[in-house]
Amino acid sequence: MAVPNLSTSTTQYTKPPKSLWREIWKYRWCYLFMLPSLILTGMFTFYPIFASWYFAFLDWSGFTATRDFIGIGNFQEVIGDNLFWGAFRRSLIFTAISVPIQMLLSLIVAIVLNDKALKLAPVFRTFFFIPVVTTTAIVGIVMSFIFSPFNGPINGILVDLGIVSRPIDFLGSAATSLWTVIGVFIWKWFGITMIYWLASLQTVPSDLYEAARLDGAGRWELFRYIIFPLLVPFSIVILLITVVSSLNVFALVQTMTAGGPFYSSEVMEVYIYRTAFGTSGSVPRLGYASAAGVFFGIAVMIITVLQGLAVRGMRERQAS
Amino acid sequence: MNWLDKLSRRQMIKLMGATGAGAFLLTQMGQYADAQDIPIPDSGATLPTDDVTLRWVDSGDQKAVFFKAYFDAYQAAHPNIKVAYDPLPWNEIAQVVPLGIRNGTAHDVFQLPLSVSGAQAVSEGWVQPLDDVIPNIEEWKAKFPAGVFLPGITDFDGKTYSLPFTSAKRYGTHLLYNKEMLAEAGYDPESEPLTWSTFRDAAKTITEQGNGAYYGFIMGGNQINRWADIVRNLARMAGAVGGGGAQVTADIDFRTGEYQFNSEEYIGAVELLLQLRDDGSVFPGVLSINAPQARAFMPQGAAGMIMQGPWNIPQWERENPEFDFGIASGPVPDDGDVWPLTISEGGANGLWIFEGSPNAAVAGDIFHYLGTVEGQTQWANLVGAADAPILPEAIANADLSPRAAQALNMFNEQIRVGPNPVVRNPDIVQVTLELRAPEPTFPQVVQGLYAGELEDVAAQMNDLQDRYTAELERAIEAANAKGASVTRDDWVFPNWDPRADYGASDYEDL
Repeated sequence: MAVPNLSTSTTQYTKPPKSLWREIWKYRWCYLFMLPSLILTGMFTFYPIFASWYFAFLDWSGFTATRDFIGIGNFQEVIGDNLFWGAFRRSLIFTAISVPIQMLLSLIVAIVLNDKALKLAPVFRTFFFIPVVTTTAIVGIVMSFIFSPFNGPINGILVDLGIVSRPIDFLGSAATSLWTVIGVFIWKWFGITMIYWLASLQTVPSDLYEAARLDGAGRWELFRYIIFPLLVPFSIVILLITVVSSLNVFALVQTMTAGGPFYSSEVMEVYIYRTAFGTSGSVPRLGYASAAGVFFGIAVMIITVLQGLAVRGMRERQAS
Repeated sequence: MNWLDKLSRRQMIKLMGATGAGAFLLTQMGQYADAQDIPIPDSGATLPTDDVTLRWVDSGDQKAVFFKAYFDAYQAAHPNIKVAYDPLPWNEIAQVVPLGIRNGTAHDVFQLPLSVSGAQAVSEGWVQPLDDVIPNIEEWKAKFPAGVFLPGITDFDGKTYSLPFTSAKRYGTHLLYNKEMLAEAGYDPESEPLTWSTFRDAAKTITEQGNGAYYGFIMGGNQINRWADIVRNLARMAGAVGGGGAQVTADIDFRTGEYQFNSEEYIGAVELLLQLRDDGSVFPGVLSINAPQARAFMPQGAAGMIMQGPWNIPQWERENPEFDFGIASGPVPDDGDVWPLTISEGGANGLWIFEGSPNAAVAGDIFHYLGTVEGQTQWANLVGAADAPILPEAIANADLSPRAAQALNMFNEQIRVGPNPVVRNPDIVQVTLELRAPEPTFPQVVQGLYAGELEDVAAQMNDLQDRYTAELERAIEAANAKGASVTRDDWVFPNWDPRADYGASDYEDL
């Protein structure tokens, strides 16, 4: 790097060599404030992830001193377990049903609330968002009372209106338990997806709307030609966030149905919890549960990568 | 408000902090003020003189009623000793206790998770023997009835590790019913126990009378173990005798040493539940409520009958004194040939002291008290029939409600102590460590049949029989490979008479 040439009048200040340490030292206060968060994340997120990869190769109950290394034995057992595949299938169903409905409904509501003319929009935004900030476990418990076939309000309305003659056991019937949990899940997390959509809608410049209206565009044309194309990059991100959150449903399922009746609402996280801690009277098996978790994580990653490749291939074909 | 205006923000914060601390201190004092109900005798143990905190965890419920009062009195009598009592439900104990042991911060006194055996805890070095911390332990143990301290259950290598301070002579599936509803249906189970047919008929009649407002039968169907408990006890009373409650003992007929899932009694009991469901006599939504919720629904008049345990009695008498309920035996077989229920060991609610506990002397002092007649009587006074005291004199001394006394007498009539394979061959503990529950387990299969997810009761029960037997044999093989010496014959007790108590001499006669 050239040293500043003081003899010439043009000042050419060149920076000192860029090294990692200098960069870190330059932004040292940022790193210092990030440090507690990094430490906690390391302890409570990364360490358990790496530890579970290790536990997956052990035959271990989780609390005994004897840990036998059994290689891929756990994985073989997981692949052969029908209950595992059932939980896998139910997790995928959960995602496949809840994500489109949640994204579509919240998009529609976000578009409606984005209208600046609507004076009560902030109030409605708050109401839609309140379920998001409630404690999931409490919601689960309260919902199990609301859906109860004995004196539960939902069944009360259904019976009074004559829609059904006998109360429906939403959470206790294998046919309806998973769908009920999906419904409550959509209701609970609807608000956050709506906020994401609102944020992305606000990047659409308002003069585009005016221009389109001047050209005679109605609501549908507005959506199809202005909003939708501009929202596509955001929707990919929101889709990813929503899919990931639809896989984190443990608290809700466990408090509403505990995976029952007879595994009908047992999604992957409940399966892992049941095998890890032996809650239904079976022996706890942390090693086996870790293997199930690792296997599921890898499977979801593969599906995501395939999806990403498919989307990219589609866009390349569109562009060409 | 003038002086408040003059306060700076810092002074305001200091003032609020001081007020808060003062209020907190006041509440602490109030806690000790009225804790003198239970006299705390001196056991002769050497207690620490500096400040210690004893941490205690158990499954709470009715125990908490006694322990909260007792620990208040104990702390008042010993000002330097603080007791931190944590009553937790079983599924939390299953997480908290193993985790605490793993990182050395376990409670000083705990109950073991339901899936962990005492032998496992001792072999892993989690617990310490009581011999050094309970003064005059031999004399103290001698007061307990036979079958309480058993090698392989509470005693290991000649030392005592656990105190089972309540009686195991109780079952959790006897009938508790709404007297009014049953009388209207024309039944009086107290004078004549319901049979399988009359139980079904009573449930149907009550449902018809209720017309949607109430139903004949309720249970906590979301709580998996209830399905197994009800089917098992119905079948046992009908003749499919067996003992114990663990996977390695329950559902095994000790006369033959075989599982009996496909016996006609077990199949009949499952079919009885399905008939109740098909009659429409079962409370809708049983599959989404757990046992405590079902228990709470009964005084609200949601159903006429429930099959639960004696722990309901003090709770209902305390919280719903106007609820007129009766106690009776669980449904008996139609032919009238009622068989006793069998337990494998005399004591329940085993308490253990953590190996790394620095306060073992305090724990020993408390354990000693729990094993004396005075302690057991105080226990009985506060807890009653929910968790019966193990010393018979305590039952006689305590003042129990009539229903509680009735329940305890019923248990004495209907329950016998049976053989315990673990006592006969301690190596069976190794088998317990190897055993895995074959999913779907017995309770899950019964729930699945009830929920309509599984069909054909006989086929499912036969399948259960095959899977459990295969798993037991696999576990025996695995245990033997690791040095144990166990055969299927260890479960066969040819000299067992299910209608009589099985004593120490019977083991020797084998």
